[in-house]
Amino acid sequence: MRAKKAKSSRSGPAVTAVVVMRLYIADAAPNSIKAIANLEAICKEHLPGAFKLEIIDVLEFPLRALADGILVTPSLAKVSPSPAAKIIGNLSDRSNVLHALGIKV
Amino acid sequence: MSATQPARILRLVKSGPELRALEAGQVDAVLDRATGTAHLLPEAERALSAAGGPIVNSLLAALPREDYRSLLGELEPVTLTSGEVLHEPGERIRHVYFPNDAQVSLLIVMADRKALEVGLVGREGMVGIALALRAEASAVRVQVQGSGSALRMNAASFREALGRSLPLQHELLRYAYAKLIQARQTAACNRFHQIEGRLACWLLMTRDRVRSDRFYLTHEVLATTLGIRRVGVTNAATTLQRRKLISYQRGNIRILDGKGLSAASCGCYDIVRNLAS
Repeated sequence: MRAKKAKSSRSGPAVTAVVVMRLYIADAAPNSIKAIANLEAICKEHLPGAFKLEIIDVLEFPLRALADGILVTPSLAKVSPSPAAKIIGNLSDRSNVLHALGIKV
Repeated sequence: MSATQPARILRLVKSGPELRALEAGQVDAVLDRATGTAHLLPEAERALSAAGGPIVNSLLAALPREDYRSLLGELEPVTLTSGEVLHEPGERIRHVYFPNDAQVSLLIVMADRKALEVGLVGREGMVGIALALRAEASAVRVQVQGSGSALRMNAASFREALGRSLPLQHELLRYAYAKLIQARQTAACNRFHQIEGRLACWLLMTRDRVRSDRFYLTHEVLATTLGIRRVGVTNAATTLQRRKLISYQRGNIRILDGKGLSAASCGCYDIVRNLAS
């Protein structure tokens, strides 16, 4: 069971403001795993050293997810910088994710 | 956590991007405001219960839990049936297989259609190692010898997984090296050793793969494996049976004395096992 896990990366050069995100998943269910892999790949390529990601397992913390307005997993919430954004699904549509995170390619 | 029927889930997600993701099969769980709980979709529930079970294939079991879990989304449980051909020589590899209790033969097919077994894959290994070594096509015919279950992954997903998991790369290179040692030893063994010793060696290798002293192998399979005529198999099996090392009736093989069989084997069994481990 995945516990609440905070992960941050600050070692690389600051290319932009740090993007703070929360990814809501359901343990190691297939779409949740894909969402983590897709997001990690995007962060590595486009936000090296400039992101902070918190992964929340809704099976463990359902009330926290509900309080954050989450209805399904996987869901990614961009917390800051504004505007806030929410992306639903396994994050396989890369251009959609980049757009929602405000990353210009 | 509870299993939920899709109809009930649909009532919780009425519209918007959540419904679109649900319809696209990209949702694992739905949160219920009324009860404050999360409901797993049936497919996610099945995947998680499979993931929680024991990992049977040794290569997968050797991976760190995180790496194994990252593969789970792409691994599909399949049943392999005796006689089924998974790859033909020269053919592009579409799937790799991690056998659980299935056993698979790697065969070299000569121009006169005679076949010789050059490798054996069971729960200790994988079928399609060529992909891990950057080759696209199979060099051998891969045929299921003992029915059973396996996990398979398509070639594209496998390459991606290999690219992101260093432990998977290490594990597969170690396995490829073990197969190289085995192939070298088998080349010498086939040339120099007596049939009886080779049969004993091969039965011990089969025992390790199926993890049982009892298994089923026809004369024909044994003849192909050892590259000899069926009468040669009969003579060698009869000798081992007379020495009370095995019993062999209509393909049903039982190893009665493992130590004795090891002593009767040509010695290649111990060499391969020690070098490859």
